[in-house]
Amino acid sequence: MPVAAFPDLIPAIPEIYLAVSAMILLMLGVYSTGKQTVRTVSYLSTAALFFAIPLTVMVTDGRMVTFGGLFVTDSFAVYAKILVLVSAGAAIVMAQDYLERQDIARFEFPVLVVLASLGMLMMISANDLMSLYLGLELQSLALYVIASFQRDSIRSAEAGLKYFVLGALASGILLYGMSLIYGFAGTTNFDSLAEVFKAVNGTEPHLGVIVGIVFIIAGLAFKVSAVPFHMWTPDVYEGAPTPVTALFAVAPKIAAMALFARVLVGPFGDLAGEWQQIIIFISIASMALGAFAAINQNNIKRLMAYSSIGHMGYALIGLAAAGSAVSAEVRAAGIQGLLIYLAIYMFMNIGTFACILLMRRQGRMLEGIDDLAGLSKSNPVMAMVLAVFMFSMAGIPPLAGFFGKFYIFAAAIEADLFALAIIGVLASVVAAFYYLRIIKVMYFDSSEEEFDRPVSRDMKSILVITGVVVILFFIYPDPVLNGAELATSALFPQ
Amino acid sequence: MYFAAVFLPLLGAAIAGTLTFFRTKDHERQKKIDRAAYLVTCGAMLLAAVAAGFAFFAIVVNDVTDPVEIFTWIDSGTLELSWELRADTLSAVMVFMVTVVSSMIHVYSIGYMSHDSSVPRFFTYLSLFSYFMLMLVTSNNLVQMFFGWEGVGVMSYLLIGFWFDRPSANAAAIKAFVVNRVGDFGFALGIFATFMLFDTINFDTIFGLAAEKADARFDVFSGNFHAMTVICLLLFVGAMGKSAQIGLHTWLPDAMEGPTPVSALIHAATMVTAGVFMVARLSPLFEYSDVALAVVTIVGGTTAIFAATIGCVQNDIKRVIAYSTCSQLGYMFFALGVSAYSAGIFHLVTHAFFKALLFLGAGSVIHAMSDEQDMRRMGGLYKLIPVTYGMMWIGSLALIGIWPFSGFWSKDIVLEAAFGAHTGFGNYAFWLGITAAFLTAFYSVRLIMMTFHGTPRADEVVMAHVHESPKVMLIPLLVLALGAIFLGWLSFEYFVGHNTVEFWGNAIFVLDSHKALENAHHVPIWVKYLPLVIGIAGMSTGFVLYKLAPGIPGALANQFKGVHAFLMNKWYFDELYDKVFVKPSFVLGRGLWKSGDGAIIDGVGPDGVAAATQNIARRISGLQSGYLYHYAFAMLLGVVALLTWYLFARS
Amino acid sequence: MDGLLREYLPILIFLAIATGLALVIVTTSYIVARQKPDAEKVSPYECGFPPFNDARRQFDVRFYLVAILFIIFDLEVAFLFPWAISLGGIGMLGFWSMMIFLGILTIGFIYEWKKGALEWE
Repeated sequence: MPVAAFPDLIPAIPEIYLAVSAMILLMLGVYSTGKQTVRTVSYLSTAALFFAIPLTVMVTDGRMVTFGGLFVTDSFAVYAKILVLVSAGAAIVMAQDYLERQDIARFEFPVLVVLASLGMLMMISANDLMSLYLGLELQSLALYVIASFQRDSIRSAEAGLKYFVLGALASGILLYGMSLIYGFAGTTNFDSLAEVFKAVNGTEPHLGVIVGIVFIIAGLAFKVSAVPFHMWTPDVYEGAPTPVTALFAVAPKIAAMALFARVLVGPFGDLAGEWQQIIIFISIASMALGAFAAINQNNIKRLMAYSSIGHMGYALIGLAAAGSAVSAEVRAAGIQGLLIYLAIYMFMNIGTFACILLMRRQGRMLEGIDDLAGLSKSNPVMAMVLAVFMFSMAGIPPLAGFFGKFYIFAAAIEADLFALAIIGVLASVVAAFYYLRIIKVMYFDSSEEEFDRPVSRDMKSILVITGVVVILFFIYPDPVLNGAELATSALFPQ
Repeated sequence: MYFAAVFLPLLGAAIAGTLTFFRTKDHERQKKIDRAAYLVTCGAMLLAAVAAGFAFFAIVVNDVTDPVEIFTWIDSGTLELSWELRADTLSAVMVFMVTVVSSMIHVYSIGYMSHDSSVPRFFTYLSLFSYFMLMLVTSNNLVQMFFGWEGVGVMSYLLIGFWFDRPSANAAAIKAFVVNRVGDFGFALGIFATFMLFDTINFDTIFGLAAEKADARFDVFSGNFHAMTVICLLLFVGAMGKSAQIGLHTWLPDAMEGPTPVSALIHAATMVTAGVFMVARLSPLFEYSDVALAVVTIVGGTTAIFAATIGCVQNDIKRVIAYSTCSQLGYMFFALGVSAYSAGIFHLVTHAFFKALLFLGAGSVIHAMSDEQDMRRMGGLYKLIPVTYGMMWIGSLALIGIWPFSGFWSKDIVLEAAFGAHTGFGNYAFWLGITAAFLTAFYSVRLIMMTFHGTPRADEVVMAHVHESPKVMLIPLLVLALGAIFLGWLSFEYFVGHNTVEFWGNAIFVLDSHKALENAHHVPIWVKYLPLVIGIAGMSTGFVLYKLAPGIPGALANQFKGVHAFLMNKWYFDELYDKVFVKPSFVLGRGLWKSGDGAIIDGVGPDGVAAATQNIARRISGLQSGYLYHYAFAMLLGVVALLTWYLFARS
Repeated sequence: MDGLLREYLPILIFLAIATGLALVIVTTSYIVARQKPDAEKVSPYECGFPPFNDARRQFDVRFYLVAILFIIFDLEVAFLFPWAISLGGIGMLGFWSMMIFLGILTIGFIYEWKKGALEWE
């Protein structure tokens, strides 16, 4: 019996570090009894997440595979991990105030967010169907819990339960797909799978493989809440505590989208002709549903749910372009567009949720769009910032959101996916309605009451940073563009 | 110099236009601003007139005829054109006339508009108008001419509607704009046709090629037309609109809603003569189309008599002069129609002076009568405002054509040329012209008698107020009166007499076979004296009817009720147009608006799409039932649907 | 075909023995034991719950908690057995892997203990 060699731990240092941090923080929280425990754990968790960013950058040197091929890290992973870590850290910062007000400030929350982030990092670095599943479940289980973190709220509990049950169903579908792939390809390793499918390239793949791919796509589509696997999204977003919704809207989406891209471009890259159609379909469906269904919403969190469904639809256009048969450059342009879109999406959403978290009157949290009435008078700065985010989401130049859509549509057109680009533009016209409606309510409707002040320093800085990024992206987009280019190059080795 | 003459008014307008932004409620400060505005524009205009004098001298005497190129405007495919100032006698004459008359009217306006509340705006418009008019007459290609043409149209619109708080002024402004649009459309089509035929719209090239293309034909709508005729008729439609020839004349009398200096400048001296200028400018084209020339002659002759008949019964002092203008424009056109272009332009120039004089005189009367325009409420003014009275006589005598006033020289040569054409159309124009001359004399005297003689019919308050106008208004009158008296006599030999060939150079082109002007000097003696005799006869009739036996006109009007009503209602043109064009247009417009735009475009377009979107939104939102098993079912359904579609798509 | 079936022969034998044994036991108890049934005795036994009742009955969530905790450690044991058997062949990597796993599990255990999840009251 061969003795397995001791694996190289260096590529996984950020993950190991986060895991250890989570456990230490858990012990710290459970053993310390002071009043400041929650705050301390919260700050330490944020620090741990942010510290993982330089760690991630430092340990990665080209493409590194370890744990017998289960785990990979490359520039693509670094890019996605940075986005995930930033958004998770921001979510904890934003949550602190809210949780204290709602009387549900427990030290488990930041620890769970750290654990979820760990799961996301593992998803991003997965190089095998098994490690993929492991990361996904670690992430999901942590998220199920924090969805129902407000235990005594029926809506929060319902959100957690729905998320859990449907998530379990999606995991089942995903696992089934994986087993089919394993059955027909004889391996679960991405590199080996790629070789297997390269060998059969040109011939029609076995039906079982197709079914497997469809099932895997369905499972992953659930995580990015693409239509028709989106049904949980509005209910969970509405029911979960707002900072949790903020986290849901950003970090898991980025991680799942990165995973999606890695799986489809990597092992199934040679079967692009098979999966491109599916991606196009769910992309169109997501854009359309995101645009139309949000029109009738009155709850801003629910509206943001549909908004994120729509945005994932746009991001999927990039993925569809990555399945193009035109040329490798076009495929790379698709992934690059996707990554740029994700980064911009992250800033817009964090900023918007920071605004939503500030919707408070006499200590009571508000979620209705009508509650924003008169904001331009009572709090002009916040109204302006929110208006900027809304314009950006609607894709109005020169705000960042416009460029996100621009690169996506450009990639789609290069890939000859004209119908997709046109539908995308039309959907964004429809979607502009509800973004602009929020602006209309803020600026043209009147209300006597003001939102509570003051705004904490943390929230202010989040608003300022995201706002500045969204507004000034067009002046200095290089970090995002270069980062996305570098990340893309990892998926398309020369 | 030439450049300065054209662009100084623009500079003045720009400065005065800036001043309009400094409107203030403070009366004293506003006065200062007004003062600055009119000083700048009048100064610029006077300087332009001086520059125009020098330019005229340079071009006509020293033969400096190189066009002044400003910069290239369009260079696209075979279409090449520049902003250029054409330097030839025709342009120089027009520039000189426009700047002189315009500067006089600018000065006059200082007094006339002194009580108005938006003086800078008025002077801005006036100067801007002058600039556009100068652009029009100095253009070296059809597009630049069109630029000036539209520019004067816009300024005319703005000035007619200058008192925008009066509904009638707004209506008149819109009417002027819309009727001119018909003409402008013809003009634009004419430009297109020219480009089609010549592949250029630069005058020099067109004129060079005209003889070559004289027999070219167009195939349009399965018909085959003589190209030059088509072009000339289209361009003439434009000229008819601008120069208020019969059919498209209806806007001119209404345009009297504008301030009187505007009527004098735009609707008597300059803009309305643009059509005459245009035909003269394009004489090399019109010469090759006998049909077009015949049409010009007939339209001109008809307008001359038509407008004169209406002028005889109008009671508004400005309207009488307006119809007189219309009639005199008819004279100019039939002169052009018989190839006596120089005679037409001669009449244009003299007319500019005496008609401006008449209008300004009328303005002076109106000013004196506290804005009363109805001659039935005037009378007995000659002692109160003697200078104006004298000026009106000078203007009227010039208009009637009494020796030695300017009008005598120009009207005579026009009528003689019509006779000298020795064609049916020429004779038609000649006899109508003679009749119109009688009517002209009649209504001129009628105007003076009703206004200045007889017993005062205005109420005492008004009469007590009657006063002579200030010097700033009278001096321009004097200058124009000098023109009205001496200009014809001074320039006769140059425009149409012995020196005509050197004077015009190659600015005007006449085929050798068209000898009307030459024949005009050799017509029978009765033709030479007939206009003068007729004029005196007309004056006598007017004198008898309105001075000696004031009862007769009323009796005549009662006797010939039908004729009187026909004339009073201006030959029912407005009513006819209202029935034929305006009402159906409203019906059509309303129909397209309600059913076309409202029901179909809005219904299917914005409203329909919005409603459909909301409907879809409602349905999709309804899908979100909240039940877990529905959600799970949707997911499974999704997987199944994807797989099924996939399998079908594959096979 | 024969070969394939022969591989499943032990299962067949296993099934036969199991069926036989079960039959023997049931039959023996039926024959040997004294039969004196009453309502309580004939009703099926299910973990202390009344067998026929509304399934949506409230029950103490602590049952659930204990069951979950039990399962976790149950699974731990399920991992430990194969690990223990193959420990000789998987070397230090195998050993330390399990140690880390146990360590993580212990952290969770400490957490639940400190949280009081193991105390009934």
